[in-house]
Amino acid sequence: MVKQVPDIERVRFDVETGRLDRSSAEGITNPFDLNALEVGVQIKERLGGRITAISMGPPKAESTLRDCLARGADRAVLLTDRRFAGADTLATSYTLACAIQELGDFDLVICGEKTLDGDTAQVGPEVAEFLGIPHVAYVEEVRAFDRERIIVGSDVGRFHYVYELRYPCLITVTKDVNVPRLPTLRDKIRARRAQIEVWDAERLSDVAELNRFGLKGSPTTVVKVFTPISSRRRGVILEGDAGEIADRLFDILKEVGALRIEGE
Amino acid sequence: MDLDLIGDLKRIVGDRWVVSERESVMDYLLDETPDVVRPKPSSCVVVVKPCSAEEVSKILKLANERKVTVYPVGGRTGLVGGSIPTRPGIIISMERFKRIEVDNENLMATLGAGVTLGDLISAAEEAGLSFPLHPGDEGAFVGGLVATNAGGARAVKYGVMRNYVKGVEVVIPTGEILQLGGKLLKNNTGYNLMHLIIGSEGTLGIITEVTLKLYPQMKHSLTLIAPFNSRRDAIGAVPKILQSGVTPLAIEYVELDEILKSAEHLNEKWPVERGFSQLIIILTDVSEDALYSQAEEIESLCKENGSEELVVAETREEQDRILRIRSNLYTTLKPDVCDILDVVVPPNRLAELIDIIEELGVKYGAKLPVYGHAGDGNLHAHIMKVDGRPPEYFEEVKRKIYEASVKLGGVISGEHGVGKTRIKDLGLVLSGKEIELMREIKRVFDPNNILNPGKVIGEA
Repeated sequence: MVKQVPDIERVRFDVETGRLDRSSAEGITNPFDLNALEVGVQIKERLGGRITAISMGPPKAESTLRDCLARGADRAVLLTDRRFAGADTLATSYTLACAIQELGDFDLVICGEKTLDGDTAQVGPEVAEFLGIPHVAYVEEVRAFDRERIIVGSDVGRFHYVYELRYPCLITVTKDVNVPRLPTLRDKIRARRAQIEVWDAERLSDVAELNRFGLKGSPTTVVKVFTPISSRRRGVILEGDAGEIADRLFDILKEVGALRIEGE
Repeated sequence: MDLDLIGDLKRIVGDRWVVSERESVMDYLLDETPDVVRPKPSSCVVVVKPCSAEEVSKILKLANERKVTVYPVGGRTGLVGGSIPTRPGIIISMERFKRIEVDNENLMATLGAGVTLGDLISAAEEAGLSFPLHPGDEGAFVGGLVATNAGGARAVKYGVMRNYVKGVEVVIPTGEILQLGGKLLKNNTGYNLMHLIIGSEGTLGIITEVTLKLYPQMKHSLTLIAPFNSRRDAIGAVPKILQSGVTPLAIEYVELDEILKSAEHLNEKWPVERGFSQLIIILTDVSEDALYSQAEEIESLCKENGSEELVVAETREEQDRILRIRSNLYTTLKPDVCDILDVVVPPNRLAELIDIIEELGVKYGAKLPVYGHAGDGNLHAHIMKVDGRPPEYFEEVKRKIYEASVKLGGVISGEHGVGKTRIKDLGLVLSGKEIELMREIKRVFDPNNILNPGKVIGEA
């Protein structure tokens, strides 16, 4: 699973409305998803198999899927339909899970730990739950794999877990799992000319309830987005004799709410 | 240090901006010149940090009157000892000249001499423009880039520093402040003193402010890496690329051994572990389609010359990583380098030069890592230490590489300059009359020889 995200270094963020101005920067493939694809390509190199890259997004997200084809995916499917728009993580995961079901049998679903724009890290595990398969998030190493199982190390802050999963299963990977290879120019040019399969909501009608897509299927409402303004430490030098300084300090601490006198 | 002088300097710039304590002065004595060839710095110096051309002017007038030597320093990223104070005197650090003004309408930026290359790149980008040149270390100061006419990667399409400089504010050793050039694209009014200042390596004046040409932001760019099995094949592809009508922003030549070490040094991974030699080619264009058609043209030329499959970096992150690892090559080699040479030949003779260097390596049993700006015919060959010391053949091999370059129609420095370390070889390139004219020019600007003496043209 891959997503096209705005180039975070270039995109403009409107602090007033809390929205990203997506037209201000071109879309790039979510960097974590490139790590996910690289895991797939390394498994394919040893065990064979086929990699399908799947993405939900606007028509311009095609370029991300082309990028995946250049980097080793065999097939690319873009889920694009106005009815998918406005989805929260629940509706997104539902849609992606339905599409995976529609694709047929699979062994392993791999995705990046999170996206640069959403930053929730929820979609991967939610997809696994919809599909009813085991999953491990924050995979930072793939220790071993064969045709039956995969052993991964997952970093969850203070602890490092090692899991053995049987297929079918889902993992979400961090940037530490590998360094994605660069595509050859040949593969890039071939991918630029390749056909991308485009699926709309109807295409999923056999496996999905259409009212669970997009805004309709999203219980989450965003009330307000704001950027916390970080306040820096301010140093104040108090001068005078010790008594005066103590009085001033006492007042300042009361003013900033660091000190409260009972009864006042 | 003369206490009267320190007092006078403090009166000009304020107490805070005069540094004479030994430990603090030490930071200003060295640059990136390899230790084997580095001139010995005098530590009997005082560091002054002015913030305006007027203050620089007062310092120079004072120094000229007292006949005290003055050394201007910038980011101290030079490789030929150009900023090292070889005599007791005053170091003028340009670190407080930080003004940045971008003029979008004229596509130019006016910058204080102490603005770093990194600041310049960011400021141009923030204004929706770009500064395509990338002369290596992003900590280098703009004043130094102009004073040394720096080059580096990405000079193939738009040229070196000289091609970007439109105006210079400079204080000459006698203290006068000159405004040379301006936001002009044409200027045929008298001798061009500005171009005399560019590349004068701090011997004719102290640059306080510069006006540089910027370009519209490069909408689309990609970096190709072409792996070849031999030096000759890789270098041989370069003139063919240049003749094809496709003008890349950069054509860099690297060798796998060194670039892998550079990547490891940064804890990064180099994307192509094939071939002996590699060309890194950066392309820019207004549309992605045009970009890929250029890339295909280059691919077929490289393959005709024996290249294996080319890889392509498209995202900014991936392209930046490649440039970062490339820029780190010298830093990785530096502890073991006796000297980094900077020879340049006509681009079509580069393959011959590389052959000669390879033969010298075999003849002397010497390791001579090379990389360089292949699109400019500019090659950095390194003579390495053996067991931590300069080998016996060091000077001989260096001289032979210089002689070979000159014989092929080249010179001994393409971009690093002469500084202090290359003076003794100047006669290989310049005639007696040329050196005499240069010394006369120096005398006109600096009658008391106070400014960065003994650099570039040596002593009369």
